[in-house]
Amino acid sequence: MSAVPIELWVFVAMVGGFALATFAAKLPVSVSLAAAAILGALVAGSGFPLRQFVEGTMGYLDTLLIIATAMIFMRMIQASGLLDTIAHHIVVAFRNRPATLLVLMMLFAMSAGMITGSSTAAVLTTGAIAAPVFMSIGITRERTGAIIAMAGILGMIAPPVNIPVMIIGGGVDMPYIGFGLPLLALTMPLAIVIVLALGFGSARRATIDIDALPPSYHSRYGWKLYLPLILLVLLIGAERAFPLFFPSLGMPLVFTICALITPFTGRRLRPLVVSRDAVKAALPVMGILAGVGMFLQIMALTGARGFIVSLLTGLPTGWLYLSIAVSMPLFGAVSAYGSASILGVPFVLSLLGTSEIIVASSLSLVAAMGDLMPPTALAGLFAAKVVGQPNYVRVLKHCLAPAALTIAVSIGYIATANFWDRLLGTESTGLWIGVIAGFIAAVVAVVLVLDRWAHRGRNQEVAS
Amino acid sequence: MSAKGKTRIGTRTGLKDNANEKMTSPPPTEKNDGKGRSWIAAGVLIAVVAAAVAISAREFVAMWEDPPIYPGPGITEQFMLSSIAPELAGSAADTEVYVLDGDSPGGTLLILGGTHPNEPASSLTAITIIENAVVNEGRLLVIPRANHSAFTCTDPQEGAPQTYVIETPGGDRLFRYGSRATNPIDQWPDPVIYVGSSGQALAGAEVRNLNRSYPGDSGGYLTEKLAAAILDLIRTENVDLAIDLHEASPEYPVINAIVAHENALPLAVEAALFLEFEGIQIGVEASPINLRGLSHREWGDATDTLALLIESTNPAQGRLRGAINSELILEGADPYYIRAAGQGLLYVPFSDAGHPIEERVGRHLDTIAMLTEIYSSQHGDQPIRISGLPTLSDLSVRGLGTYLDPSIRETDHSPP
Repeated sequence: MSAVPIELWVFVAMVGGFALATFAAKLPVSVSLAAAAILGALVAGSGFPLRQFVEGTMGYLDTLLIIATAMIFMRMIQASGLLDTIAHHIVVAFRNRPATLLVLMMLFAMSAGMITGSSTAAVLTTGAIAAPVFMSIGITRERTGAIIAMAGILGMIAPPVNIPVMIIGGGVDMPYIGFGLPLLALTMPLAIVIVLALGFGSARRATIDIDALPPSYHSRYGWKLYLPLILLVLLIGAERAFPLFFPSLGMPLVFTICALITPFTGRRLRPLVVSRDAVKAALPVMGILAGVGMFLQIMALTGARGFIVSLLTGLPTGWLYLSIAVSMPLFGAVSAYGSASILGVPFVLSLLGTSEIIVASSLSLVAAMGDLMPPTALAGLFAAKVVGQPNYVRVLKHCLAPAALTIAVSIGYIATANFWDRLLGTESTGLWIGVIAGFIAAVVAVVLVLDRWAHRGRNQEVAS
Repeated sequence: MSAKGKTRIGTRTGLKDNANEKMTSPPPTEKNDGKGRSWIAAGVLIAVVAAAVAISAREFVAMWEDPPIYPGPGITEQFMLSSIAPELAGSAADTEVYVLDGDSPGGTLLILGGTHPNEPASSLTAITIIENAVVNEGRLLVIPRANHSAFTCTDPQEGAPQTYVIETPGGDRLFRYGSRATNPIDQWPDPVIYVGSSGQALAGAEVRNLNRSYPGDSGGYLTEKLAAAILDLIRTENVDLAIDLHEASPEYPVINAIVAHENALPLAVEAALFLEFEGIQIGVEASPINLRGLSHREWGDATDTLALLIESTNPAQGRLRGAINSELILEGADPYYIRAAGQGLLYVPFSDAGHPIEERVGRHLDTIAMLTEIYSSQHGDQPIRISGLPTLSDLSVRGLGTYLDPSIRETDHSPP
């Protein structure tokens, strides 16, 4: 191997070309990525491989369709009044219990990710429902964006569906068995700590004015209003619950069907206008993904990918942890699933000897943090759109500390993998139930104490 | 309650949300001029995309044509898999089955090549058998392009070439480098989670992976139909010994190995032992009971066949490789795998010599020969004896191209 391999020059050209196009030439990120891919191919001597550019882009076809249709669905239920209605009733029911409300809404926001394995789907569905609730109890839109972005990511990693772990497992012939408890133990404490850290301070101080809440349309439209959401849950749930009997429609078709019935369930709306606006809002992200596809394809074609991966995976153990903490989220910026496949598998293999289930679980969470990494930052970007913050960086700023905590916990989980394996990998049902019951009891106790504290604070404020 | 103390809600989720649109389209200063420019820009963009699609489509469509296979002296019959499984007729999953009948009766061996077309030694071994082998006793069935649909595309974001060329005495011969999975044009969309007929839960994309789809389902996804058809073939042809040929990346733990269903484990162990005497290091792995959907597990569970899978070393499909091209596919030499070997990350030795296609096909051929020899010695009443197969040492000396020379086959033999 020569002292300076060509792959290094290719990588430098691609990254440098992207930076120049984005920051100096002020081109859109999607165009900059495509330009960087073209430059990389030229530097590698591969000419202008048009087929490769198209193929790289098509690698994201499913994701692009999911983003477009989920966005249309979300805007439809927003316009029909469903989101407002749900937010109204939840806030009214739990307005005196802010900690309970925060924890429950966090779990709810995560739920779509737990079922679909996609942070984008979670942010755009249950996240979109939870967002008005969080904002209604005094949490800023930026913090709300951060909460639902983190909920989407943690939901994507929490069981029962964790696609990055399945991808890593596929690379090392590890069946998706025995991950339930380790993934719960990894994600649930983080979810509770993060939502309380980001939201409790504001929620505790907030005095909620019922009149200022988003309106409820329940009395006007009745249960018909909730049909799109019920159908979505049914279609996704039935496929998961009865995979051998219920046909897989694919997420794009599921979102489309649910969006199509929405205009008949609530407030009057113009479906074509709402759909057009939704696609328009999603278009920059879709463009970025197309550019990322080209970028990845040329990295793989030219060997720049192998150059980077072999550098990262060959580090000694201490550096390896640092490498995981830095490289997987960075690579996840182009694709969390790609990060799991390209880096997750070699990292699992370089950590053989420690519990593979714990290691793969943790790596999947670190890879998923890539959904907060610009330029794509899918979770952060869509969370910003959901809360109406045009500059997604303002949302990402509030994600920094939770992301750092998440990565630190994941690395700690890997470093102590064998301990967790002994604790959680047991086949004893009694121990399982004990661990889960103990955790729930601890959470309930903390939440009750916080609710009481908030209630006392409000009473004192009113008295004074 | 004072107005000051109230939390004003900023979340009216109405019909308009212009804030989001700021990112996508800055308003033009002159409304009409802006619209005119937008139309021109859109027109240019559509024209560029249409041209890119039209030009690249020619390359994608070129993959639909199968490079020829030249049946050798031992071929006695050829049929399509759809003759056993009519549901495959006319689909991209339908594939050729070559039959080599022996002069005297015996056992039946199935060789499956091309389950994963990005593992070229698999289908090349099967083609080498079709074009060279003669069966003396028993019967041999060979499927060289098991997942035919997967030969018609490459894996997105892997940058792989569509073809590679092997030099033969009669000229260059082109082969397809395909995808690990069925072409999405033939089977789409993927579910989020794939729970196959085996009950194994896998990532959704695995729904197009033939070697995760067994035992298959004749009414299921196309890949499941294919898997069910292969299992039907094993049943209807009373296959005694079934071998699924594969390759693995050097960082993958199960490599240069035979994976055996428990009913074939003694056979695999004995074969590995004798291969070691001949200087071929090969491991034996028991088929995991809880990893369902794979050939070595489901074939053995669902039928009486002795189910085996063989792996060789293919750096082109790995994650640590450098640039991917014909040279990497055929020579198997890669600087980053040499570095990874030095770091102790690999499960096979890796040096400048790489793992050339001759070594990989030769290992497969020698392993098949050893397995059939031991099987025949254990089943005297159902022997399978094959001649004409080149060995690892033949291939190392003469090159694989010598045994894939189309100029000989075109004149000598044609399919019955």
